[in-house]
Amino acid sequence: MINYLANPVRFLKFSKVATPVFGGLALITTIWGLYLALIKSPPAIEHGQSVRMMYVHVPAAWSAMMAYTALTVASAVSFIWRHPLADSAAKSFAVPGTAFTFLALVTGSLWGKPAWGTWWQWDGRMTSVLILLFIYMSYLALWQIIPERKRAARLAAILAMVGFVNIPIIKFSVDWWNTLHQPASISTPGAPGMPPEILWPLLMMVAAYSFLFAWLSMRGIEADIVKSRKSRSHQIPAAKVIIEDI
Amino acid sequence: MIAPLIKRDLVLALRSGGAWLYGLFFFAVFIALSAIALGGSLNVMRPLAPALIWLAVIFSAMLSFHSIFQEDYRDGNLAQLKLSGAGGLILCTAKAISFTLLSILPLIIATPLAALVFDMSSQTVMATVLSLILASPALAIYGVLSSAILAGRRGGGFLIVLITTPFLIPLLIFGIEAIEGYSIHGLVALEFRILVGLSFIAIAVGLPAAAAALNAHLE
Repeated sequence: MINYLANPVRFLKFSKVATPVFGGLALITTIWGLYLALIKSPPAIEHGQSVRMMYVHVPAAWSAMMAYTALTVASAVSFIWRHPLADSAAKSFAVPGTAFTFLALVTGSLWGKPAWGTWWQWDGRMTSVLILLFIYMSYLALWQIIPERKRAARLAAILAMVGFVNIPIIKFSVDWWNTLHQPASISTPGAPGMPPEILWPLLMMVAAYSFLFAWLSMRGIEADIVKSRKSRSHQIPAAKVIIEDI
Repeated sequence: MIAPLIKRDLVLALRSGGAWLYGLFFFAVFIALSAIALGGSLNVMRPLAPALIWLAVIFSAMLSFHSIFQEDYRDGNLAQLKLSGAGGLILCTAKAISFTLLSILPLIIATPLAALVFDMSSQTVMATVLSLILASPALAIYGVLSSAILAGRRGGGFLIVLITTPFLIPLLIFGIEAIEGYSIHGLVALEFRILVGLSFIAIAVGLPAAAAALNAHLE
């Protein structure tokens, strides 16, 4: 599958179909998920109405980490096989990933005020997500500052792979440090879990964020392919001089 | 192969007319400025002193990072060393060691002096020096990595700070916590082991990454 899509021409053929499908699915799941989350689901007993913040906060944090993992995989592919499409993919994963990380921090802060009484706390989870935002920003800055595309891709891939050390720290920060942020309540076996009327809207929002991420990164890759083609065709041709002219 | 490279860096630094001491001046200026900003009261500064010293070391190191490969890259020495058979890993290891000797060691030696002006207890000074020593491999290696990534970029000063910050934050967190842990558990404090672990991660991940970044510039 990946081998098949590694060719930009075949990828563009695939994305012509897949991108609108992802976009449509993102639109449908967002509307349906927001309806479930904001209107249909009941307010939680302890949190009241502010629990609805969870439906935008948790998926944002998850997709931020998912985006970074995808970015690392694409960077590894680009580093090992030097494939230009993997560069485009890595670059296109980083932009929505940065946005999701920022969104997770902002929504978490807005939720923290009613739930914990503070906008911000320097605990393990929040600090490590803030570090993730810094890594995303330096990754994007590196692409901007190095003009040669191939070298920029290689150096950015190295930076992304070293930065991946942070992802396990984010995941396990709530287990390693006893902090304000609550531990994982869905993925942990034996955890109390969630009642279905809260779990379903959350899962729908996770699907919405994932499809949105897929749509945004497909659009990003398409734009990058078109852009690099255009810059190639705009290269000044070698000087053409005919003897007769002289 | 590593020893001559380190010796070359040391000789170059000694003949540079004291440029390698700028980091130490910055350290002193940072300490003085923070004492002035905090009003100069020892009772206020004493609990903050380890954090201020750590910040002074980290900022001083960050400002020196850019020069690690800059000169050698621009005048072509790096390419010549590569041609003469020095691998990227050897170059980066040598640079990390000479950076530790030239830019971090003077700061660690100056730490007890800074402790005098903050009136720190001898135990806290000991803990601060120990935490800085254990963190210095990671500090040097992430500096080499970011300098290798930005080799040859003019005006990379601010960007190098942005690139290294994510990797230095865990060092800062556990360095400060180790100083607190030392007062309770002594040398066996958990945070010291975490600092050593962070340094090992830097050796295992940061050095090969720095070598790869250097090769990307020289290929």
